[in-house]
Amino acid sequence: MTDVLLENLRVERERRPVLNVELLVLRSRRTTAILGPNGSGKTTLLRAIAGLERLHSGRISFDGAASIDKRDLAYVFQEQVFLRQSVRRNLELGLRLRAVHNQQIRERVEEAARSIGIFHLLDRRADRLSGGEARRVNLARALCLRAPLVLLDEPLEGLDVQAYAHLMDELPRILDAFEATTLLVTHSRDEALRFADDLVVLVNGRIYAAGDKHEIATNPRFSEVSEALGYTILTVAGRRCAVPPNAFRVGAGQVQFLMQVEAIIDSVDAKEIVGRIDDVRVRVRLEDGQEAPTTGNRIAVYAPRLHELETSP
Amino acid sequence: MGELFAVEATTAAIVLRSLVVSGLATLLAVLVGVPIGYAIARRQFRGRTLLLGLINTGLGMPPVVVGLVVWVLLVRSGPFGDLGLIYTPAAMVLAQFLLATPMVIGFTIASVQALSPRLADLLTVLGAGRVRTLWLMAMEARLGLLVAIMAAFGAIVSEVGASMIVGGNLERSTRVLTTAIVTETSRGEVERALALGLMLLGLSFSVNLTLTIIQQRARP
Repeated sequence: MTDVLLENLRVERERRPVLNVELLVLRSRRTTAILGPNGSGKTTLLRAIAGLERLHSGRISFDGAASIDKRDLAYVFQEQVFLRQSVRRNLELGLRLRAVHNQQIRERVEEAARSIGIFHLLDRRADRLSGGEARRVNLARALCLRAPLVLLDEPLEGLDVQAYAHLMDELPRILDAFEATTLLVTHSRDEALRFADDLVVLVNGRIYAAGDKHEIATNPRFSEVSEALGYTILTVAGRRCAVPPNAFRVGAGQVQFLMQVEAIIDSVDAKEIVGRIDDVRVRVRLEDGQEAPTTGNRIAVYAPRLHELETSP
Repeated sequence: MGELFAVEATTAAIVLRSLVVSGLATLLAVLVGVPIGYAIARRQFRGRTLLLGLINTGLGMPPVVVGLVVWVLLVRSGPFGDLGLIYTPAAMVLAQFLLATPMVIGFTIASVQALSPRLADLLTVLGAGRVRTLWLMAMEARLGLLVAIMAAFGAIVSEVGASMIVGGNLERSTRVLTTAIVTETSRGEVERALALGLMLLGLSFSVNLTLTIIQQRARP
């Protein structure tokens, strides 16, 4: 149950600003996804909140307090770092540092391990796990802390299909269960929309959108936000417009484009045409029964929905 | 017969003195060198490369030069002459400590740098304070740190120059195995010198074997 408030926050590296946040409120008990391309400052934002970055200026407050007790924090790093000990000992460490009772440590570690699907790994050496196993242990170590503020840095990156699907379903439920304020860094639109209540779009260290996910995802005002959300940006009659992901269809429609076909991708359950409209790369899904066009040809495609973008601030 | 026992007793005292003087110097070097090495490994600061260069030079510092500097400082007419430490085991501990510390720092830097740079961040966010973080990092780096202890002890227990100069090789108070070997050899007592040499090797071996057992038991 923690409100996090960031004001005029500035983090610099080698005298260059890497993060510049005027105002950001992370609301208590909600999950906020931070979406943005690589190098946009997402991890730096997380580290700043965790107190691992030196702030050039500005302040962060937690329910009005200037700092957060580390015991109220759970942080899943993007890198998998473990002590050269068993998985169990690694999961226990945070709880031991919080002076949790032994019996409770055991229960909480085993419960987290079960829900993440790593119970069978508890007695293995943590530094000898496979990439996917290490990812899940990393996540379980943070979750067994049951902290009121949870920071997740690309927690599902590099998982196999099965584990990914399992955690896509389980993680929101687990996070809900202990009513944490959660911050999820990701560059995946799907993960962001699936997990989050609120969205923050961060590009080049600046926030271009922050707020309710429905509002932002259905009406991104700026090209930076549209790109982060997988929109295709095109110029229509001299105006910059954004077409939602998977919205293009083959054929004639109200807003029609000429697409140069470059390749046909057959991924068994679907066929997609890859090509260009002007200089913009576009993918169009072929509907059942539609003939695949010949590579090199120009075909008509249309977007049933698109909206005009504002000039970026 | 009585004379033989007297000789044995003196030899035992010399072996014990070697162990205590070099052991104490190693212990002090670890207490001082590990935190310094940790700090150097973890932080970026102006002059870091220069400092690393100095430490690397310190790894190969001639004991006789260190002994000479300590002698100049501790001799009765020197700046710290009033302490009355010259020609005492304490002076030998000091000289050996100065020899061992750069080694401990150097090996600590190497073993801490081999750890993941995120480990300290992880321990911090898990709630470990500074001291606890240092301890857990040391536990992770223990293989390298035990190498540091072995190398430092091995080097100072077998050095002769510094011990000779600052200790003075006094039979009843500051004679250690290495200086005893020099004395016996110069007296023409080659057999005794060889026997003492074997004892020195034996001492070094027992200490290193003990540390190796600890190291291998702790092996992750």
